[in-house]
Amino acid sequence: MKRILIQDTNGELKKVLREFSVSFKSQLQDRGLSGQAQVVVVSDIGVYNKGIVAKILPEGFIYINLDNAHIADIIEKTVLKGEKIDAIALDKKNKQLRIVLRNCGIIDPESIEDYIAVNGYQGIARALELGPEKVIEDMKKSGLRGRGGAGFPTWLKWNLARNVKADEKFIICNGDEGDPGAYMDRSVLEGDPHSVIEGLMIGGLATGATRGFFYIRAEYPLAIQRIQKAIDVAYSKGLLGKNILGSNFNFDVEIRLGAGAFVCGEETALIASIEGLRGYPRPRPPFPTTKGLWGKPTVINNVETLANVSYVLFKGGEEFGKIGTEGSKGTKVFALTGKVRNSGLVEVPMGISLREIVFDIGGGVLDNRKIKAIQTGGPSGGVIPEHFFDTPVEYETLQKLGSIMGSGGMIVMDENDCMVDISKFYLGFCVDESCGKCAPCRIGGMEMLLLLKKIAQGKGVAEDLTKLSEIAEAMQKASLCGLGQTAPNPVISTLKYFMDEYKAHVFDKKCPSAKCASLVTYSINKEECTGCGMCSRVCPVIAITGSRQDKYAIDKVKCISCGQCFEVCKFKSVVRQ
Amino acid sequence: MGMTKDQLLAIKDETLKKQPASWIRVGYSTCGVAAGAKEVYEVLCEEIKARNLTLEIKKCGCVGLCSAEPLVEVNVEGAPRVFYGKVNKEIAHKIMDEHVSQKKLVDGHIYDI
Ligand SMILES: Cc1cc2nc3c(=O)[nH]c(=O)nc-3n(C[C@H](O)[C@H](O)[C@H](O)COP(=O)(O)O)c2cc1C
Repeated sequence: MKRILIQDTNGELKKVLREFSVSFKSQLQDRGLSGQAQVVVVSDIGVYNKGIVAKILPEGFIYINLDNAHIADIIEKTVLKGEKIDAIALDKKNKQLRIVLRNCGIIDPESIEDYIAVNGYQGIARALELGPEKVIEDMKKSGLRGRGGAGFPTWLKWNLARNVKADEKFIICNGDEGDPGAYMDRSVLEGDPHSVIEGLMIGGLATGATRGFFYIRAEYPLAIQRIQKAIDVAYSKGLLGKNILGSNFNFDVEIRLGAGAFVCGEETALIASIEGLRGYPRPRPPFPTTKGLWGKPTVINNVETLANVSYVLFKGGEEFGKIGTEGSKGTKVFALTGKVRNSGLVEVPMGISLREIVFDIGGGVLDNRKIKAIQTGGPSGGVIPEHFFDTPVEYETLQKLGSIMGSGGMIVMDENDCMVDISKFYLGFCVDESCGKCAPCRIGGMEMLLLLKKIAQGKGVAEDLTKLSEIAEAMQKASLCGLGQTAPNPVISTLKYFMDEYKAHVFDKKCPSAKCASLVTYSINKEECTGCGMCSRVCPVIAITGSRQDKYAIDKVKCISCGQCFEVCKFKSVVRQ
Repeated sequence: MGMTKDQLLAIKDETLKKQPASWIRVGYSTCGVAAGAKEVYEVLCEEIKARNLTLEIKKCGCVGLCSAEPLVEVNVEGAPRVFYGKVNKEIAHKIMDEHVSQKKLVDGHIYDI
């Protein structure tokens, strides 16, 4: 039986779509084909701004810009003969590539058999056959770099730890994931826990570590529960513990919980936290690979890095190295959020452009507003304006633009987002999360935040903009750990690309995106007001009063400039200035 | 004493052999659960029991389409394999009535991206 999937739409096309599907059904019926083909309206086919879109199953042909005139042809050629009509067909390539998320949503994460059925634990089996040195060689061939932020080559980190002589070594999986808006690691821990455990085991084998730790924030209860269950069952099957897979490799794993401080994702603070101390970072060197947990050589790898490791060792480094670009191999998972149509997790090969991610995969901007920029790397990253969207996603290219790959948060911003407000948000996050140990971060961050607040209130002066840049530079150079060193990045990149917005706040006392509450005022145009009272009903501070006869008015003293009346007024009689 | 590589491969073969022809997967990560996957899962389980079906139902992780959670993937013989998104109790019943029993796709809830 054929299925004709018709993509639902909103707005003007809705009526046309209904007629199209009714007409399709009746033509099928007229020709006595109702039993052979089903017409279904579906929520999403993933093709946008191409009019009426249909997909025919089982062939999978996608037809675009359809109208009623096409129906007879589609029935004749595709429904009856299975032929493709090239004139209306769209070749949709799947731009995602799933390596890290290879099993997420496919296997039952609580079943070890499910994981073994998709070649699970064959990576460690191969690693045991190769031996530590060859494993590191294989990792070098793969070109895998850390997915936790800095992009340090994984093989190199392992090799450093391997070459240190010690009676005991450790390996830690960093599952702290503190970036606001990022949840890739949580999804992997929840959806495919064994793949991360296997990666940790391989890292242990390569470096000589015999104990592994999962450091997971306590706010991730389901992830913790699934990892614990996976560890328990791996022990019961003899895949953890002594003489793994009949070899002389012993490996133990346990979980340590983090209390959700952003700084505890930084490796030296994380180590302190596991040791039971306060989560303070310390100067490096010595790096954890020489002196880490309890003074022993310690490797720290991110969740996504380790989920890649088990794949690399199963497929072979060379195979993995074919994916991505020269300097950035493999794929990257992004948590695509903000003003994008399909928010969620996407996994793409390195080298894909930002535009492809936002428009082809994410489906573009919500409500067809104008896109302004994309934020990557969370509070340590920066914003990238729209005219750079054709840049390929790689560690180095993003860095050149003043942002970073980061752990994978990707927030889409449209014309309603104010860049001063965005900087204030990210910097505010870092000020809250600063541990307070070093002065540049503790004092510099607060001073910058006060300046941004001043600018957002329309009290800024020209000098404040230079002061922002100066403090930012000092923080970058003098802070003790990555938190303080990177906290100014969102400010620096917005200053670089959106100086005109800062200037509008400082010199014209205007917020071009009408976001900064102190710089916008709302009033009601009585001529246009129909007296419906919607504005009055949504106003949270009861600043709008009136009646159907007298129309409505806003009390400027009570108004907090939240803009809800503006959003809700159907007659555009609320004026924003 | 742990298992050997041969035993590992034997588990793989055995599990693959046991894989059912018809199954339902429910997205059961934090994003799915927060959107109501638990209720949906329970309805589907009750229906399977009530109808006495040989249909495997599984709690899985997140496929990435978090904005469309709860997601339910259905693969039964005689109908194409599809994802239903934003599923609630009512749609879950419909999936059993129309898709699973009558092999008719349910109108309005398929996400095919
Ligand atoms: C403030 C701060 C927070 C961090 N948070 C995380 C985190 O949540 N998860 C993570 O994997 N790495 C985080 N990192 C990076 C880690 O210090 C470390 O580089 C990483 O875990 C190494 O793993 P990789 O080589 O696999 O990327 C953070 C770094 C800083 C400075």
